[in-house]
Amino acid sequence: MSTAAGGPAGGGIAPTQMIILGAVGGLAGIYLTMLNQAMDTTIFSFLGGIGAIFAAVWGADAVRRVCSYGLGTGVPSIGMVALGMGIVATMFGLTLPEVSGIPTIAGPIISFIVAAIIGLLIGLMSNKILMMNIPIMEKSMVEIAGAGALVMIGLSTAIAGSFDIVAIMPAVVETGFIALVFIGGAMTILHPFNACLGPDEKQDRTLGVAVSKGALIMALAGFASLAVESMDAMSGALTTIVGLVIWVVYFKRFMKHSHRDSYLVTGTGLLPTEEELE
Amino acid sequence: MVDPIVMDMGIVALTGALATIAGAAEDLESDVGSQSNPNSQVQLAAQMNFPHRIFNKAISGEPPAYGLWCASGATVASVLMAKEMSIFFAIAIGSFVAAIILGLFSVTAHMGRTASQKRFKQPAYMDMVIGHVPSIMAHGYIAIFCIVAFSYIMDHFMGHPFPLPLLAFLWGVAAGAIGSSTGDVHYGAEREFQNQPFGCGLNAAFSGNIVRKGEAGLRNGIDNVWACAKLGGPLTGLALGMTVFLDNWRTTVFEGMNTIIAGLIIVMILILANRMVEVKARKAYGPYKDEDGGEVA
Amino acid sequence: MIDIMTIILITLGGILIGVGVHFIPVGGAPAAMAQATGVGTGTVQLAAGAGLTGLISAGFMYNHLAISGTFTGLDYLMVVASGAVGSMIMITVTMFVGQLVYVYGVGVPPVSAKVKKDPITGDVQDLYVSRGTEGHGVPTVSFVSGTIGGLLGGLGGSMIYVQLMQIVGDPSNSGAVALAGIFATGVFYVNSVLASYNIGGTIEGFHDPKFKRVPKAIVSCLIASLLCAIIAVPIMGGVV
Repeated sequence: MSTAAGGPAGGGIAPTQMIILGAVGGLAGIYLTMLNQAMDTTIFSFLGGIGAIFAAVWGADAVRRVCSYGLGTGVPSIGMVALGMGIVATMFGLTLPEVSGIPTIAGPIISFIVAAIIGLLIGLMSNKILMMNIPIMEKSMVEIAGAGALVMIGLSTAIAGSFDIVAIMPAVVETGFIALVFIGGAMTILHPFNACLGPDEKQDRTLGVAVSKGALIMALAGFASLAVESMDAMSGALTTIVGLVIWVVYFKRFMKHSHRDSYLVTGTGLLPTEEELE
Repeated sequence: MVDPIVMDMGIVALTGALATIAGAAEDLESDVGSQSNPNSQVQLAAQMNFPHRIFNKAISGEPPAYGLWCASGATVASVLMAKEMSIFFAIAIGSFVAAIILGLFSVTAHMGRTASQKRFKQPAYMDMVIGHVPSIMAHGYIAIFCIVAFSYIMDHFMGHPFPLPLLAFLWGVAAGAIGSSTGDVHYGAEREFQNQPFGCGLNAAFSGNIVRKGEAGLRNGIDNVWACAKLGGPLTGLALGMTVFLDNWRTTVFEGMNTIIAGLIIVMILILANRMVEVKARKAYGPYKDEDGGEVA
Repeated sequence: MIDIMTIILITLGGILIGVGVHFIPVGGAPAAMAQATGVGTGTVQLAAGAGLTGLISAGFMYNHLAISGTFTGLDYLMVVASGAVGSMIMITVTMFVGQLVYVYGVGVPPVSAKVKKDPITGDVQDLYVSRGTEGHGVPTVSFVSGTIGGLLGGLGGSMIYVQLMQIVGDPSNSGAVALAGIFATGVFYVNSVLASYNIGGTIEGFHDPKFKRVPKAIVSCLIASLLCAIIAVPIMGGVV
């Protein structure tokens, strides 16, 4: 789909601000779940979900910027490649401390950096070998892969209550919830731009979709954590409720933005007449 | 004592039947809402000065979308099963939650795309949202329920090693891929362009000039699904049903190397069947041009 | 110690996926309107659908064979062949049913616009292309090409899965099974998206001039898969 092909996409929030918001917000959310271990509880798991939302917004903005160049294939593909890289990097980063004796706390950072490296490589290859010639491909791939890894770590942490691989393996991987984390993360990153694609796309509306969809997946992650033995039911319920509240707020905001941006919102009616279309 | 193969074949048949229903419902769901590749024409129509009343459900491609619905459905179902709810209700509730998520994604996709077409003066009709989304969810529910159910059967009765959400995710991706490759063509190449003669081949110049008026009033997605339910939907069901059935059948009936040989024979038969259809079509429709390049049809 | 052979085989699996994608005839959005030869969907979508179906078959077969405790070379062949055949069945069924829709639902004969004669059947092609389109349906040459694509994709996906499982060497470890499954899916997506960027939307099969771009995809998939493989080995080793 190349309907939006053209130049770079503008918008209210500059790319650099988005990167800071996504990377810092995402990592902060993930690391704040360490309060769980500090206070010997699991109630702070929802912070992982919040971190995932920050990262998803960043990822969606990066998709928005790169896809406005027209990739020659659908928007979804770039989301899938991001999460493909992300899942490899995530599992590597979280497992490495366990294998090599590095402190567990380094896990998410290692994942993030490895994802960025793979992203850079894929971006370089797309431009240099496959000759796609999209000026911001390298940068965007780094961003999308990094955001993808953070979304997945965030959601996994929300389910397991900790980003320690010892907790994640039985809670997220063995149960198969990793499939939800994988595809849910991908959809929060690729759906917003796909859903708002068009010449009158607006940044705030697109990113609002990312927040509301991230919150929805976060609510599901909270529900999934009910099946995890190390998590008490309250924490899972809290993650679900926080997710649903964020979803309600942002869904309403999205509808308001849609009303603001539409040519006409009407209960029902006929098609615009010839004169109107002139 | 029943021969175990009878039991096994019954299970294989059941998975095939569920997959058939799932495939048909999956395709019809994507026709109500207009998803995947044919939707590019719905998107283009407004741009070509043809505003319309067709739902614009650009969630994403069908495979990732169905991967998400099936993974969510299976996640909720497996949580409920872990809490010792009965399997049937667990899958039913899981699919219901997944169908709600599908509905919510549909709303953002339709409203988002419509609002982004402001300069083409495409209005957003709220009665369409209210009218189409329940129909999308209903078709989606059937598809998700059947996919999660046959994934559960493969998991627990046929001994597949993957956990339920992962297996349902993989089958969801496969179902979406099949739906967007088979049934959607009927919607995209025929139903959207019924204003052109049957079999004329769609000149690229017609792009965006989709049918916007129905038998009575303006055409919408529900009119489209009515037509596609006659060919596109059932054939998609056939495709997913055959994929699931044939793949399970060969591993159930045969042992060892014979499973591979049986699979290769199935593939050979399909290649030959395709050739027969090709020859028949060429004979029935004839060439569009004669030897010198003049138009004959 | 990192096993070199494992890394080589995982990388090879990734390359097979990337090459396999080039064989699958996809026409993207134009094909969904019967304006281009091939299946009416996106490259990544169809390749992933077929490859992951193969992965399901391979996972089933691996579990069946390896649970007894011994896993021989013949068993290895069985598993990857099972994955390849599962993927081939999915893609042939899809192309065949898609063909039925083109012929009976849309009323156009299957034809390729890139060649004058079908290299396999020798049928004249250009006269059957309707005006203003670039072919439609799945002619025999594209069908056979798609079958080969399914074979390679299924083979590649299963090879990655089996190699990962072999590192752990315990088929009953459900964590390892799920991790290997999702990991193979991730690597599959990376390679198939890279290949689809190389194709740039549509390809009819091995007779398409775009098929000459394959070497570029091989280089890209080699680098990407090698990186994934080097990362994969410590992950799987750390699970148990």
